[in-house]
Formats: sequence, structure tokens, C-alpha cells
Amino acid sequence: MATFEWEDVKIEVDEDGFMEEPDVWNEKVALALASTEAVDELTEDHWKVVNYLRDYYKQFGIAPMIRKLCKQSGFTLKEIYDMFPSGPAKGACKVAGLPKPTGCV
Amino acid sequence: MGKPRSHKAEKVLERLEKKLNRQIVMSLAACVHCGNCSSSCHYVLANPDDPTYQPSYKADQLRKLFKRHVDWTGRVIPWFVKAKSIYTDEELEELKDVVFGKCTNCRRCSINCPMGVDHATFNRMARGLLVSVGVMPEGVAVVSKDQWEIGNQMGVLKEDYLDTLEWMEEELQEELDIPDIKIPVDKMDCDVVYSINPREVKYDPRTIAEAAKIFHFAGENWTMPSEGWDMTNFGLFSGDDDLGGAVGRRLYEKTEELRGKKLVISECGHGYRSTRCEAPNWGKIDVPFVMESSVDTMLRYIKERKIKVDKNKNTERVTFHDSCNNARSCGLFEEPRELLNLVVTDFQEMYPNRTENYCCTGGGGAMSMSEYTPNRLKSAKIKAEQLKATGAKYVVTSCHNCVDGLTDLIKHYELDMKVTQLVNLVANALVIPEKVKEPEVEKVEVPVEAEAPAEAGDLAGRKILVVDDEPDILTFFSTVLEDNGATVIQASDGDEAIEKVRQEKPDLVTLDLNMPGKDGGQVFEFIRKDEELAETPVCIVTGRPELRRLIYDRPVPPPEGYLDKPVDEETLLRNVRKILAVG
Repeated sequence: MATFEWEDVKIEVDEDGFMEEPDVWNEKVALALASTEAVDELTEDHWKVVNYLRDYYKQFGIAPMIRKLCKQSGFTLKEIYDMFPSGPAKGACKVAGLPKPTGCV
Repeated sequence: MGKPRSHKAEKVLERLEKKLNRQIVMSLAACVHCGNCSSSCHYVLANPDDPTYQPSYKADQLRKLFKRHVDWTGRVIPWFVKAKSIYTDEELEELKDVVFGKCTNCRRCSINCPMGVDHATFNRMARGLLVSVGVMPEGVAVVSKDQWEIGNQMGVLKEDYLDTLEWMEEELQEELDIPDIKIPVDKMDCDVVYSINPREVKYDPRTIAEAAKIFHFAGENWTMPSEGWDMTNFGLFSGDDDLGGAVGRRLYEKTEELRGKKLVISECGHGYRSTRCEAPNWGKIDVPFVMESSVDTMLRYIKERKIKVDKNKNTERVTFHDSCNNARSCGLFEEPRELLNLVVTDFQEMYPNRTENYCCTGGGGAMSMSEYTPNRLKSAKIKAEQLKATGAKYVVTSCHNCVDGLTDLIKHYELDMKVTQLVNLVANALVIPEKVKEPEVEKVEVPVEAEAPAEAGDLAGRKILVVDDEPDILTFFSTVLEDNGATVIQASDGDEAIEKVRQEKPDLVTLDLNMPGKDGGQVFEFIRKDEELAETPVCIVTGRPELRRLIYDRPVPPPEGYLDKPVDEETLLRNVRKILAVG
């Protein structure tokens, strides 16, 4: 466990930089986490993805399949990868404050 | 009365003896502490002052239990053989941090051990002992649970899996404007049943679409199973043979149920090793069909001309990272290189490579154990240096674990490099046949065949130098090539070859590797380094594929072609024509 600081944001993250307590997430935290993921700016599109991931996680306790994310948000796979260069698992989920996805990723 | 022992410690010791086999006992008994292994291990190289990373130290944590509780020497002279027991749960936790957190089971130390100590094998056994009493990193527990209960390591539900395949099918149809391109599910009696890593379906299904594209254009009769499709196997990482066997059985049974002729495993190192080599033993299963890596499948399609590729579609410099499970444990290291050279123009070997390559640092399930990430990234220093030295823009690997391990370290060490797989490159290099249009005016009465046999004499005007020290081969090659119109010059050793290539400036050289005097590798390097001759196409011909390293390890562009002896007439002509762009 480590503490991650960015501007006035101070959060607990795991060794891979994912949030330890997804409940304390807010938009400022998202900006802070985005700074570690080569995402310079969170556009409206980014927020659409992030908000979908959060809603899904709140409901089911896991990260959604990329299929669901694309279907619901209306973005193509390529658009998701363009927005979050590390991909949906490591990039988008991290910014959305989800814990690290399980498995060998 | 001895010291009290915790319940878990008791169980671990009880199960220790049952887990031993001849290979493990030999490995535990044979170490002479020579230290050769230390310089092999990426953890040691990044932590030279910390002895707890040394393979021999790590091994001793298990060896002391073996000496104390199994081996006779530990009963007689325990102080001399450093026999010790284990008593508390805290000690088990410490052992956990060693066997899960300080070793990726990459087996690099094993190949450098003069005594043949297979460290990774008993490290895995130690993991299995701990897992059997519930001592393991949380990530390993979660993934194992999903693989046991849901049937795949990322908890993907059947309807989501099928929905994703359908989605990829639609995307492909749209991209290629081919409405009948399919990702068939549960089709019976197929030649190929294709199994994948859940990571593909859950986070990045582009590789599934790309594989489907390749199967389609190869005209393959293939299918994906609706269940038992996860070829990854956490049993390999956790040391749990029961899980390993159960996961393998699901794949085998489904393939049998579909009466599939061959199970093809997508690019995943541990999945390939587990499914093809280990799970039949863990599960005590007779597997009645053939299993192969998709690397072999794709290579075969190109060789058999089922698909056409254009390497000029992949011109950025690439290097290749050998996965430990593919290269060291399964001997799959020439095939991916052969394939790579067919689909990219600029391949740069990294050093060391093949079985000597360093771990991606994400192996052995390390990507799922967040608690050890800082150590993992620190130990990746040597890998980062190795990657950087290639100057490549892409590192190609046939393993999903390596994809993630390398991506992580590239980010950490800020390298200007991306990770990709062979399936991506092959799909990108694929030459999509033009759609056949109905002739509009009149039918021309010329017999047109899809694969029109090249006409005899089509090599007319081409000068070919045949180099081989076997007179039979010289005569055979010369006759075949001359019969097809080529002018043939012969050389029977390396020095003569250099002389002739200088004098005659041929259009193509067929080059034997193993020859007296200068070997084929030296001749090849000479040609490539000579300003005037560098562009001369070279086709290597050898009866010893293991000598390929003589060629690919050289700091010069790879040869245009590669033939394994024995070579038949058709293969020779096909390759010569291909290189000379004739026919």
C-alpha cells in the first residue's frame, strides 16, 4: 500500500497504483489518476467511459467486459484505446477508481 | 516433546513427502552451492547486495525442510546439511514471499546449472504446498477461485463470451465488407478448435478478430468452443495440480465432444505449456488429438501458401521476446522467428535470446500479485536495458503474460516502445484477395487456374549461385534450376562462394550453412556487409535448423528465404520464384 499525492489529492493506492478505497473517488481523484496514465485531459468522452465503469462496478462489484463498455457507451474498441492508451483494464479502470482487475493483466 | 507446530505447518510437512518426485528429489539433493545460478537470475542482477534473491538461497528455504523431514542426512547430521523445520504461520508467510514474490519460475537458472537443478519445478511444488493450506497471495486465490468455479480465470460468463465473439464477427464483416465471414461456435468435426486467453475476450478482443481473419482467408475449417475455451491455467502458477488437471480436462473434453482434429492455442506461453505439455500429466488424461501453438498454425498457412502476406506492411523495427514457457520449457523459439521474418522487414534480435532470454518479469503469475509489484519492476532493469539496446519500436512476444509484464516495465522505464503479438503482425501483413468480379463483356476461353503452375523456363535470364559442400545437392539444385531456365554457378565451400559471388554478382544465392572453411554464416555476413553485394537475395538451405542462430544472431538484415533439408523440387522452385518475384 502506498499514498499517492497529486495537487491537493491524497489517496491510498495499491502497488500497481489502483485505488484501495474506491468509495473516496471523486472527479478530482480521477484527474489525479489520469495523470499517471498518459491521459492529459479528461474530455466529455472520457467521463462517459469513466462514469459507465463506476456505475457498473457499483452494481456488480467487478469491471465490465469491454463488449459491455463499448455497447453501452457507444465507443469503438479503437476509440477506447485512443482515449486510454493502457487499455480498458489498466487505464480506464484505474482512472475510474476501480481496484486492479484480477488475472494476469 | 518437540516445539509446538501450527496446524498449517503440520499439514505442509505432512504433504511434503507426497509431493516429491524423482526430479524434485534430485534437484533438492544435487545442489553444490556453486553460485552459477545467481548470475542467471534477473532478481539477483537487480538486487546484487541482497542474498535472499539468490536462487540457491531461495531453494534452501525448501531444501532445509526436505533435509530435515525426508532425507536421511538431515536425521544424522542435521547441523551439517542445514536441516531445519518449520513451526509457525509466520514462517509460512515468509516462505510465501520467497516462492511467490522472489521467483517467476522462469527457469533461466536451471539451464545454467551444472548439476541440472530444476529450481522452478520445486519452487512450484512449494507454492502448491502453501496453496494447499490456504497461504497464497490474494490475487492467486481470486483467480484460482474463478478458474475453478466459473471455468475461466477472469470470471467471464458464457453469454458475455458468446456476445463478444458475435461482436467481433460483426466488426470483421463490416471492416472487410464480407458478409459471410464467421466466427463459428461449437461447429462439429472441425480441423481446428481455437482456444484463447480470457484477457482477449474480456479486455482486448482485437486478437480474436485478427485470428478469425487469418483462419477465414486460409480457408480453415475451424471453430471456437462455447465452453472450455480458456487455455490459460493458474494451476501452473499456484502449484495446484488438481486445478491444473481440471482446467486442462475442460478443454480436452470439449474438443473431443466437438470431434475437433486439432486444438490450437493462441499466443500465450504458460497456456501453451500447461495445455500442451503439463495438464495431461496433472489430470492423468490421454489426449487423442494434436495440440499446437497458433504460431505454428500461422507459419504453416504461409508455407503452404494458404495465405499470402506482404512484409512491407510492417516496416518499423521489431524485436522478439522469447517467453520462458515457450522457449525454455517447450522449445518453441525458431518458429516465431521464421514467421516474424516473413511478415516484417526489419527484425532485430535482442541479446541474449531464445532459451537464454531474460524473463519479462511478469511470469509465474506475478502480474496478479500486486503486493510484489515494486520488486518486480525493480528486477525488470535488465530487461529494460535489453529492450532498449535493440532500438526497436515494437517488441513482439507470443505470450499474454509477457505482453502485460513488458508493457508495465516499458511504462516504468519510459522506453519508446510498444508491445505486440505475431497474430497482429500476420493479420496486418495479410494480402486480402481481390473480390472476384463477374466478367461483364465476354468470356475469354483461356484455362485460368487459381494457382497456375509457373511455366517451365520462367527463371530464364536469372543467375543463381548454388553453394553446398555436398555434390549431390549441388547437382540436384543445379539440374532443377537449369531445367527452369536459370543460369547456375556452383561453389562447394565458403571461400569459393565468396569468390564467385564477387565475380558473378548473381541474382540469388542458395547457401548451405555447415561447410568446410568459412561456414555459411560467415559467407552470409560477408555478402550483407559488402556494399555492392548487400542487396543480393540469399536463401539459406540447411539440414540443421538449430544452426539458424548462426544467421539470425548476426547484426545484419535476415536472409530472404530459408529451406530445411531435405528439399524437394517443388519447394525449391516455389521459394526461388518467391524470392525472385517470378510467377
